[in-house]
Amino acid sequence: MTTRNKQSGISRRSFLKKFGLAGASVMGLAACSPRDGDDSTLDDAEAETPTGMMTYRTTPTSGDKVSLLGFGMMRLPSVSGRSAREGADEQIDQEEVNRLVDYALDHGVNYFDTSPAYCKGQSEHATGIALSRHPRDKYFIATKLSNFSPESQTREASIAMYRNSLRELQTDHIDYMLLHGVGMGSDGMAEYGARYVDNGILDFLVNERQAGRIRNLGFSYHGDIKVFDYLLSQHDKYHWDFVQIQLNYLDWQHAKEINPRNTDAKYLYEELDKRGIPAVIMEPLLGGRLAKVPDPIVAKLKQREPQQSVASWAFRFAGTWPRVLTVLSGMTKMDHLQDNLRTYSPLKPLSDDELKFLADTADQMLRFETIPCNDCKYCMPCPYGIDIPANLLHYNKCINEGNVIYNPEATDYSKARRVYLIGLDRSVPKLRQASHCIGCGQCSPHCPQKIDIPATLHRIDRFVESLKQTP
Amino acid sequence: MDCLGNCTHGAIRIGNRLKSRTASPARPVSDSRRQFLAIGGAMALAATAEAQKKVDGGLAEIEDKKAPRRATRIVPPGAVSVRNFARHCTGCQLCVSECPNDVLRPSAGLLTLMQPEMSYERGYCRPECTRCSAVCPTGAILPLDRYEKSAVHIGHAVWVRANCIPLTDGVECGNCARHCPADAIQMVPSDPANESSPKIPVVNDERCIGCGACENLCPSRPFSAIYVDGFEVHHEG
Repeated sequence: MTTRNKQSGISRRSFLKKFGLAGASVMGLAACSPRDGDDSTLDDAEAETPTGMMTYRTTPTSGDKVSLLGFGMMRLPSVSGRSAREGADEQIDQEEVNRLVDYALDHGVNYFDTSPAYCKGQSEHATGIALSRHPRDKYFIATKLSNFSPESQTREASIAMYRNSLRELQTDHIDYMLLHGVGMGSDGMAEYGARYVDNGILDFLVNERQAGRIRNLGFSYHGDIKVFDYLLSQHDKYHWDFVQIQLNYLDWQHAKEINPRNTDAKYLYEELDKRGIPAVIMEPLLGGRLAKVPDPIVAKLKQREPQQSVASWAFRFAGTWPRVLTVLSGMTKMDHLQDNLRTYSPLKPLSDDELKFLADTADQMLRFETIPCNDCKYCMPCPYGIDIPANLLHYNKCINEGNVIYNPEATDYSKARRVYLIGLDRSVPKLRQASHCIGCGQCSPHCPQKIDIPATLHRIDRFVESLKQTP
Repeated sequence: MDCLGNCTHGAIRIGNRLKSRTASPARPVSDSRRQFLAIGGAMALAATAEAQKKVDGGLAEIEDKKAPRRATRIVPPGAVSVRNFARHCTGCQLCVSECPNDVLRPSAGLLTLMQPEMSYERGYCRPECTRCSAVCPTGAILPLDRYEKSAVHIGHAVWVRANCIPLTDGVECGNCARHCPADAIQMVPSDPANESSPKIPVVNDERCIGCGACENLCPSRPFSAIYVDGFEVHHEG
């Protein structure tokens, strides 16, 4: 294994930085030249990722000191540099995963969240390899009982899935164990019953917690609010150590407007806060949608904080709420990780004024009718070969860039049309485009955002068809 | 041949290309065998996708489409008739290279060798496109505008019950009806007595222009559940 530089004393980078600063100020003093304010390389955004400054939160039941930034292992990099969930034979780039994990641990991240389903089932294995190279007491592992398919819902199959997680993660205990995605499916309560109650798996997990092989037990929630309310009403019985919810400045008060079947994150958070249950946050960026925002919104956010990334606003929002234990980010690239580390080392909570500013931004954002797809790929693979997220994301990208124009009389129509059609053929192979969606509907029950996928694909297809027919 | 000696993994070698081709002979198959394979293929495709849905991500494999055996070959709008086309075409390939939808290709038939013909495995004759008629130098494909083009009937769609996805896979489809530019296809319950039985397409031959959107976008693979047979003589209206 490589020896990693422990930041002893002063690093080369900060040395140069300090000298540069000193030099600049000396020059400034001596010459008072008109160019002395020019030292733009030393701006905050460019500064070195701070070490030892991470914000931590403590769990009430196990007393764990958890980093506010949690590493989501759902979007791990593949050898081709994209996320490992894309093509049919994309393998995880283990070397890059190791490098990201090492860097994260060095900079204070200690929560790693995976699942047997992520990255076509390869995520736990890769996480196990990367983490087992470090002392087991330096990090917390979170994984889930992802028994979505009916044949894995028998008691034996579910327990086998749990034991396999321990094996893949090369450990004898799981720090944070979750019931995965309760509330999903066409009938949330029935699905919850079939997956965890009728087969006795929830009791099994409670016993495992008693035996110490599970240190914290909780659930992740999407979809049907009845299931969320029901599980919280059972808190006295199961003593949830934590609950994982989707929270971001768009879902805070606008979840219903995005989709009538979703529930405001404000409600979810307040219910947890009332009971003193720590909240683990997923989708703080809505799968990148709060990093890739429409151009006018970029201008607005950057105007207020020119040195901070667009994404940092979303992370600060999620971290501002005190009952939040950790905020998960599925980081595929080193620059995502570094940007997030800067945001949380340490966290600067949003002021009331900034919260109001973000609420206004959310209002403004809703006027752009992007599709609420977070690219989680739970819908995939489509049995008829459609690349569902790629179609939806291309549409969103073009909306954000102002290239979805329906009216052929509009001045920018022909330019926007070209950008849409050429970009579509580049990012989605012809046979995987929306025109091939037959509307069988097998995808929709898997969507945590409850998108009516066939209807949306058909709508996009009609738009594409109108573009093709009207040059 | 430097690459041969330099590859330490033995990944490059010189071999007989023809030999590897004959390994999977392209024998003509009977219709029943074809249909059997098509149904089997569709079911296997659905079954593997079903089995895979334990984890997220990934893409299902897509089998290439194969051309059906057409009773009459299809020639482009503007050709007027198969005979007119055959008489004028010099096989210059201008239209083949111009076709943006991968529809036109040179024929391998003895009497029509190198003359273009149409097939819809890779694309279909899009309503806004008239490029072949614009480049034809011999009058084999006469010039027409997009509105005239969409009014010419060059063939008609034929439904193949055995391949139709609502019947084989038990899922909703209607992709042919959704994409028909002539609105010639309607979806109706397969059992007239049962409103909720799987819906199948019915073709109004009077409206069908033979563009192949239905054939190309049909999810059944390798053989579509709906395909186009050409007309000897095209007609309008």
